[in-house]
Amino acid sequence: MAQVITITSGKGGVGKTTTTANLGTALALLGQRVVVIDADIGLRNLDVVMGLENRIVYDLVDVVEGRCRTRQALIKDKRFPELFLLPAAQTRDKDAVSPDDMIALCTELRREFDFILIDSPAGIEGGFKNAIAPADYIIIVTTPDMSAVRDADRIVGLVEAYEKHHPRLIINRIKPRMVARGDMMDTTDVVEILAIDLVGIVPDDENIVTSTNRGEVAVLDRTSEAGRAFMNIANRLMGHDVPFMVLGEKNGVWSQFLNMFRTRRT
Amino acid sequence: MGLFDNLFGRKPAVSSSAVAKERLLTVLVHDRVHLTPADMEAMKREIIAVIERYVEISNPEAIEVTLTRGEANDHLKADIPLGRTRQP
Repeated sequence: MAQVITITSGKGGVGKTTTTANLGTALALLGQRVVVIDADIGLRNLDVVMGLENRIVYDLVDVVEGRCRTRQALIKDKRFPELFLLPAAQTRDKDAVSPDDMIALCTELRREFDFILIDSPAGIEGGFKNAIAPADYIIIVTTPDMSAVRDADRIVGLVEAYEKHHPRLIINRIKPRMVARGDMMDTTDVVEILAIDLVGIVPDDENIVTSTNRGEVAVLDRTSEAGRAFMNIANRLMGHDVPFMVLGEKNGVWSQFLNMFRTRRT
Repeated sequence: MGLFDNLFGRKPAVSSSAVAKERLLTVLVHDRVHLTPADMEAMKREIIAVIERYVEISNPEAIEVTLTRGEANDHLKADIPLGRTRQP
């Protein structure tokens, strides 16, 4: 049974596109047939993050408006057995597509893929509504800071209002040393505030920048902690029980010891 | 130096993450419940009027109406000091 999962957040820049690219690749590495859809019409990015920007011929709007068959717009990522990208249009706006268009598209794609991941735009307007319309469930990405968590909370409410129940949470860009010092909210804090099921936590990792620079996802880099975290999440999406990484604990024995030697510089 | 600060009893400040968490819990209850400050004021006045029909309220200005978040529920609380009542 195909699963359609929309990755959204409310706040921009918290890692939706990175998450979609990495989860899609990880699932493909695990042998699944995967298509990732960039639903951010007018501000496309999934193509660049995956290193496929030079291969775009047709896009989501071309498919919806009937200028090509869906298959023609899908870009096969040649590095992986069954990973495809449906890119967004760059020169149109979000009105070009409707929620019903997205539902029809995913109905068609369900026949051929195990996982359909939709990269939602930021915000709560038309692009977001399009992106969540076909979803079986939603993954909400946040970072552990005030603005992102507040926006994520709004999204939790909206997603429930649109009858997409049981959204799941990914907390991205955790800085373990800041958490241990009490300068960043930890996983327990964020989960308590948002009160939805946690599907993954991802540490802040410079490898994300360098891998995006090269158009290669972090999941392929064995030295990348973020890559490992995304692979863990992919396994959980497939129903495997994977323990969460330990990313800094407030008031742990080690952090109390370290705090004794803290000087005033940051 | 940090080591001596903590050994000799300088109280550590509340961590910024704890402040963030408290602020978020408060702001989110207000975001979710959709009560504007004006609504809260109007509600407070009406609550005072109802209670005054039954008991005397010594200082209506001391009444506090708050929205807080509990484990299972959001709570709307009204704290109404009645003054010290004496047995007749």
